[in-house]
Amino acid sequence: MKQTPEPAAGAVPTVDAQNVAALHAVDFSIDGKAIFRGLDIAIRRGAVTAIMGPSGTGKTTLLRLITGQLRADAGRVVVDGRDMATLSRRELYAARRRMGMLFQNGALLTDLDVFENVAFPLREHARLPERLVRNIVLSKLHAVGLRGAARLRPQQLSGGMGRRVALARAIVMDPQLLLYDEPFAGLDPISMGVVLRLIKSLNDALGISSVVVTHDVREISQIADTSYILSGGQVVASGTPADLRDHPSPVVHQFMDGLADGPVTFHYPAPDYPAQLLDRAEDA
Amino acid sequence: MGLLAEMLQHFRDFLARLGALTRFFGQVLLQVPSALLRPRLVVEQVYNTGALSLVIIMTCGLFVGMVLGLQGHDLLQRFGSEDALGVGAALSLLKELGPVVTALLFAGRAGTALASELGLMRATDQLSAMEIMAVDPMRRVVVPRFLGGVIAMPLLTAIFIAVALFGVQLVGVQFLGVDQGSFWSQMRGAVELADVNEGLIKGVTFGIACSLIAVFEGYNAEPTAEGVGRATTRTVVISAVVTLVLDYILTALML
Repeated sequence: MKQTPEPAAGAVPTVDAQNVAALHAVDFSIDGKAIFRGLDIAIRRGAVTAIMGPSGTGKTTLLRLITGQLRADAGRVVVDGRDMATLSRRELYAARRRMGMLFQNGALLTDLDVFENVAFPLREHARLPERLVRNIVLSKLHAVGLRGAARLRPQQLSGGMGRRVALARAIVMDPQLLLYDEPFAGLDPISMGVVLRLIKSLNDALGISSVVVTHDVREISQIADTSYILSGGQVVASGTPADLRDHPSPVVHQFMDGLADGPVTFHYPAPDYPAQLLDRAEDA
Repeated sequence: MGLLAEMLQHFRDFLARLGALTRFFGQVLLQVPSALLRPRLVVEQVYNTGALSLVIIMTCGLFVGMVLGLQGHDLLQRFGSEDALGVGAALSLLKELGPVVTALLFAGRAGTALASELGLMRATDQLSAMEIMAVDPMRRVVVPRFLGGVIAMPLLTAIFIAVALFGVQLVGVQFLGVDQGSFWSQMRGAVELADVNEGLIKGVTFGIACSLIAVFEGYNAEPTAEGVGRATTRTVVISAVVTLVLDYILTALML
């Protein structure tokens, strides 16, 4: 078990044979509001890494930092040994070809059918014979159980099916690193179980590294090798799911057990309620 | 003082927006050669913006021509020169009405479709997904749509003018009895290549302006339902104003 609000010197995560990506002392703010302050995270090669935390803690922002869509104000975001901030546009796109990302809403291209959505990266980046494209796409759709839905439009898919098609598209270029943004949000229990098993089986079968941003503690605990809990712009705890369950931090305890009372308050900061009700000046 | 400050702020916002639009136009132009290497994408967009606008363009063209026939005949009859209906209608359609009305209809039909499509792609993370897949959305999505609009607009203008002239002929010759021979021969005699070129130049210019505004507003739309709606509205309003301003400038330059 490791409590990491202030990582000790020498414990800074590094990109090496063991880690596929790492964030070193990353600061990031939006419109003057600090999202991360000195964030340190390591993504272990071949493992499923879960990033958890209350809503609004910047979990999706973290993924956008890893993909280079956002740049850190300070610190370094290193993926596959390369500092994302120093890459030219061409190098950044080359780095992204080794990544896949599953968006919360799937982000399927609505003017293409399922088959063409999955084929999209292949058609853009590889000049392959049509027969080979067809076989690759069908194999990826088969892996997510949707080979029979190849000619459906994205509008005809349920939420879970859309997420699986997006997953097939994310793995079609055989990435080294797969990023999942809230993959279980809004799914029924059956679809959730299917997506959960897919994340684990794809990770193991394809030998890739996975980063899953989620707040579905129970589900992700079944498959995560390492988990980080973010709060207040920092990592408040990291370790295996078992480590986190026994963690002494009140924030971690509140989050893992889904408690309403704790350091993370229900109410957004506001003036005193009775005083605000009696304040006539505000009506004017 | 407050009003002045507000006006200054609006002016600053306008300049910032104009600067962003100019920069965006530069980025689009830089990507045009690579987009032309994939003509299928451009042809698809010519179909989406052009072919799908045909019904509205032809319908409006017919009625604009028929009204022009009625009004032109009424006016020319006062001077006993109904036979000049063909010339008057052809020149006003070629030089003004054709390009301008087509641009306004294009902004309302194809421009709004482009802006809302791109805005929705932004709101549903489709553009972000492309970036993650190492596909430049400017090259793959924006530039083909821009080129599609630029190519479609002069073609639509030509079709609008042709259908409108049929409308003028229908009302003037068939209904009101203008001599058919005079109608066509005077038109052929008076209309010069320069008049056709004027309409063509205006069509291309309005095509560039309306397509650019539509893709700019859509691509930069706030990723919310309200943001997409605002981008669509702005596309129509700005396109209409810019079309009329450009029309004045081009007319002044080419007279």
